[in-house]
Amino acid sequence: MSEMSLYNNINIYLFVGLFLLACGIVGLLYRRTLVSMLISIELIMNGAGLNLVVFNRFVAPERAYGMAFTLFIMGIAAAEAAIALAIITLIFRRFKNVESDELKEMKD
Amino acid sequence: MIFADAIFILIALMTMAGALATVLARSIIYAMLGLVLTMFGIAGLYIYLNAPFIAMMQILIYVGAISILIAFAIMLVGPLSQRPREWTTPTRFIVAFVVAAFTFFVFTKIVVRSKWLPGMYSTFSLTTKDIGRTLFDKLMLPFELISLLIVVAIIGAVMLALFSREEK
Repeated sequence: MSEMSLYNNINIYLFVGLFLLACGIVGLLYRRTLVSMLISIELIMNGAGLNLVVFNRFVAPERAYGMAFTLFIMGIAAAEAAIALAIITLIFRRFKNVESDELKEMKD
Repeated sequence: MIFADAIFILIALMTMAGALATVLARSIIYAMLGLVLTMFGIAGLYIYLNAPFIAMMQILIYVGAISILIAFAIMLVGPLSQRPREWTTPTRFIVAFVVAAFTFFVFTKIVVRSKWLPGMYSTFSLTTKDIGRTLFDKLMLPFELISLLIVVAIIGAVMLALFSREEK
């Protein structure tokens, strides 16, 4: 009875993760400012972590490898966000602009 | 079971609505709030997957740390009135939508065609203790590398801030 419940269906979780990936791709290509592109990358990383836990739950439930790698993804996302936001504030101080179309030169 | 299913569907829809708000919101503050909504929804999905420790870490790290970091960056990068418009040309939206739809289509086909047989409906009872054993027995080297990466990121962020201050 409970095995046929809706939340024991692997495809729904995979669909949600896939939707997050698609939304992240749209945001990455469509948004203009660097901060919005960083937010889209965070969406993609959330989808990846969800997929890892789902496969750990449904396909390989013996050991907790998927959960451990989801923790690794969270650490990597935190480090990436810190570095990227430091660079973005640096770019804003120098160029007074955070639009990705306007940033064409590496040195002024 | 009906009640649990209803709440599950509500959480899944909340996650997807948050993702849509993140991408399509006109203001970047609303985009960040949509990201927070998505992260809470994913924490709920983790609880449905019998992983309460991961759900707690999701709320602590993503909602508590990364969104606050993004909020600080939004406030540091200029006043809201002088912010450039987020929306670009319709051509660019069509291109982005086509790429995302193609990705979605291909992966949906892969997911539908695959058969995930082993352990599909087995009882799943991995506790926090099991996560810790896996982390420190089997994955010792990646764990240490992650800590090294975070230290390098912190030092790098501090150095970036210091050097930009000096140059000015």
